[in-house]
Amino acid sequence: MAPHFGLPEFGFLLRGLQWTMLLTLVAFAGGCTAGLAVALLRTCGHKGVEWIVRIYIGIFQGTPLLLQLFVVYYGLALTGLKLEAFVAVAIGFTVNASAFLGEIWRGAIQAVPRGQTEAAMALGLHYSSRMRDVVLPQATRISLPATIGYLVQLIKGTSLAAIVGFIELARAGQIVSNQTFQPLLVFGVVGAMYFILCWPLSWWGSRMEARLALASQR
Amino acid sequence: MQDQILIEMKGVQKWYGGYQALRNVDLTVRRGEKIVLCGPSGSGKSTLIRCINRLEAIQQGSIVVNGHRLDDSIKAIDVVRQDVGMVFQSFNLFPHMTVLQNCMLAPIRARRISKTEAEAIARKYLERVRIGDQAEKYPAQLSGGQQQRVAIARALCMQPKVMLFDEPTSALDPEMVKEVLDTMIGLANDGMTMICVTHEMGFARQVADRVIFMADGQIIEEGAPDAFFRNPQHARTRQFLGEILAHH
Repeated sequence: MAPHFGLPEFGFLLRGLQWTMLLTLVAFAGGCTAGLAVALLRTCGHKGVEWIVRIYIGIFQGTPLLLQLFVVYYGLALTGLKLEAFVAVAIGFTVNASAFLGEIWRGAIQAVPRGQTEAAMALGLHYSSRMRDVVLPQATRISLPATIGYLVQLIKGTSLAAIVGFIELARAGQIVSNQTFQPLLVFGVVGAMYFILCWPLSWWGSRMEARLALASQR
Repeated sequence: MQDQILIEMKGVQKWYGGYQALRNVDLTVRRGEKIVLCGPSGSGKSTLIRCINRLEAIQQGSIVVNGHRLDDSIKAIDVVRQDVGMVFQSFNLFPHMTVLQNCMLAPIRARRISKTEAEAIARKYLERVRIGDQAEKYPAQLSGGQQQRVAIARALCMQPKVMLFDEPTSALDPEMVKEVLDTMIGLANDGMTMICVTHEMGFARQVADRVIFMADGQIIEEGAPDAFFRNPQHARTRQFLGEILAHH
């Protein structure tokens, strides 16, 4: 007799949700840090450096995330570096996020009017101050809707981590479903959990987008 | 005599790819001198002043500002930019900062002075362009004329030796042109060295020591405003003045 979907099962899903959130958080934080570096290098003005970063971005945008996770988890294991599932997927997602966020922010940096940089240069401000004080605050505003959009994709995308045996929300749902034979109920609950996580973010993102559109009309 | 010269450009050549924007430009600016640069669009007048603070690199010739030879080194560019203030056609205020913050940023970051000192300087110059009461506002809350006056104050806060104006009134509604020109006239009367790219010929008559006419990346003609306007030597100058004065 299979167990029914009850509190213990729900608790198991909640722990999966926690792992999903933790993985998202780590990947997003790491992706933001590395992505900023990618965006800055991609706009640094040095042709060679920009070209290398373009290839980096191209590789991670042009191959499936699944493949990238395989490479980190199984590929590195072949070289003798055996990583824990969480560490492996965290690295995979971080590197992948750095390419996507880097490209989003590259666009935002380039969307800041050229006159802003010129005014900063004319005032004698160095690169670091030009970026920190003038360009990045404006680029952040411009990129916020797309960044939030990417975060939502990332939350849902973490379900791919199941493929290397990491038990996050989607994988937890599969396990519970197999035990209880109540797939509709279980995956309904799993879906609701993703929705509660993602929908407010999406809503916030589109509100930011509307506000930005309004501001640019003035 | 030598230190009376603030800017010296010699044989300056500038290309954008195959297009030559400046052809063998020589220009000497004395301390305290006010120069108005005019000419048809595409004549290279904006490019010329943008070379002085190295917003544009030159391919040949030399530029010396306040005794410092401008080359590709960051140090040389730094030194020159500290001495040269610039005001742009489109204001280019930093929209995410208040008026006061706009004026304080460069002195704090580039001159490394204290916040208190920077604020005192900023308030002084904002007062001087008669906009002190708007210090806490954001640029978007100000009119174009007010924004341009803030831009002038922002440049002055770096206490430059020379001010470059790149068509400072071209983006303004007509009723706001005067307040900006009055600010510039006040600056000129205080003895500031100025190079202004502008089509405001009334301003040129009133303020300029020299008017320079450019076409096709070359200096065609220059002279004191009286002689320049009354008796232009070159056909192109006459044609240009005819066109521009017909509108005023």
